Amino acid sequence: MSAELLLTVDGAADEPVYEQIARAIRAQIAVGALTPGTPLPSVRTLASDLGVNLNTVARAYRVLEEQGFVRIRDRAGAEVAAPRTAPDAASLRRLQAELREVLQRLRQAGVPPDEIRRLVDSVASPGARAS
Amino acid sequence: MSPQTALIVTLIENALIGAVFLLYPRITRKGLLFGVYVGEETFDGETARAITRSWYRRMCAALAASVLLGAGLALWSSEPFAIVVPVNLLVVAFLGLYLWAYRRARALAPAGPPPAAVAPLVVTPGGGAVLPLLAIAVGLACGVFSLAHSWVHYPELPDSVPTHFGISGEPDAWRHKSLATVMMLPAMVLVMGVGLGGIAWFTAHAKRALRRSSRPHSLAAQLRFRAAMTRFLTVVALLATAMLTTLSINVVRVGLGRATGLGKGQMILTGVLLVYALGGTIYLALRYGQGGARLEAADAAAPLTNGLADNRNWVLGMFYVNRDDPSFLVERRFGLGYTINLGNPKAVVLFGLFLAAIIGLAIVGVVSN
Repeated sequence: MSAELLLTVDGAADEPVYEQIARAIRAQIAVGALTPGTPLPSVRTLASDLGVNLNTVARAYRVLEEQGFVRIRDRAGAEVAAPRTAPDAASLRRLQAELREVLQRLRQAGVPPDEIRRLVDSVASPGARAS
Repeated sequence: MSPQTALIVTLIENALIGAVFLLYPRITRKGLLFGVYVGEETFDGETARAITRSWYRRMCAALAASVLLGAGLALWSSEPFAIVVPVNLLVVAFLGLYLWAYRRARALAPAGPPPAAVAPLVVTPGGGAVLPLLAIAVGLACGVFSLAHSWVHYPELPDSVPTHFGISGEPDAWRHKSLATVMMLPAMVLVMGVGLGGIAWFTAHAKRALRRSSRPHSLAAQLRFRAAMTRFLTVVALLATAMLTTLSINVVRVGLGRATGLGKGQMILTGVLLVYALGGTIYLALRYGQGGARLEAADAAAPLTNGLADNRNWVLGMFYVNRDDPSFLVERRFGLGYTINLGNPKAVVLFGLFLAAIIGLAIVGVVSN
């Protein structure tokens, strides 16, 4: 098991724990450490290991399911979902708005346009890995 | 029992139990000092070492006193005292010295929030939960069989039934026949068989506490330790079920006059159970260390996380209380094996029922006599 497949949650952080869990799993999927079809730990196992409430992990998984990162199978647990081939219109509009906001924040933070383009390409291109 | 036999028994008892106690500081996961998470650096510091050395000195003195007391009682007093009293005093001394060291270790606990929690994002192999299910099924079957066997033979039993047996296997105490007297032992088969199998099953699903490291030693060590502990407890459950079942049947046979004693087989089975339980405990401690501490040595400098590193969730370093944590069993901070999460109501009810059943049956046995 490699280091990047460890999930870290800081109970003292301002960010809610469920969001920390969801963000960490999204990050692993984005860098290709978790590939489509990979089973994720059950809600009980992950909650037990982290010492957090079952509802916290269940909420993180629900958020990830809504965002299309995870597929929840009733009794078999959760697994990493394959990227959709075509987004639905509502999701596309919401994601475009979010992306625009992030791009604006990057520019505001002084990141050069070439660097922004490179970041976007690294995520958008098939098989790409973030640096 | 002759004074010489009593002396040998008390010496072996003290040696084995004392050896297990003396092993505890040596098998603990790095960073944990007498039930307190002090951090990996402080754990290696001079103050922590001084506390440990002092505890060893006192514990050795307590063990020597217990051995001398046992020898004295065996040679100059009645035998049951020699076997029972010194070992119990040793346990009391151990608890007292633990609390003494715990209070000193508390002063070394780091200030500030606890370290972040870490969990593996990959599905790890199960801890061998199938064998415990088999032990539960065997315990259930043997318990029901023992109850049925005693119930069927109850009308045939004479007015007096054997209730206690000497070390030779011959009965040395008889009581008036009653349902409580006759059915207590088969009921114990059911409770112990299912209960011990259940503990093995929960052990297979116990909480893991990883080190925050780029290497996988901590998780691998814990998985191996948990699987070994599960196998060990499963075998203990099966042996205890076998021993109690044959005991239940043999007691009825002696009561019916079909046998004069429990027989060599019963005594051998009891001996095997005791040797396996004690020998297995020492083997697990030496081979794996608590929570796989001895297997994760290459990564032991990395910080401990989760329940073990969070001092807020531990009372006296012995009792884990975390209402958010759904775990039933968590690693012990000092000692070998796992302890119950007292913050989980389901766990408290389940283990409380198990304990209440054992204590209840013991009380019924005493009252019926």
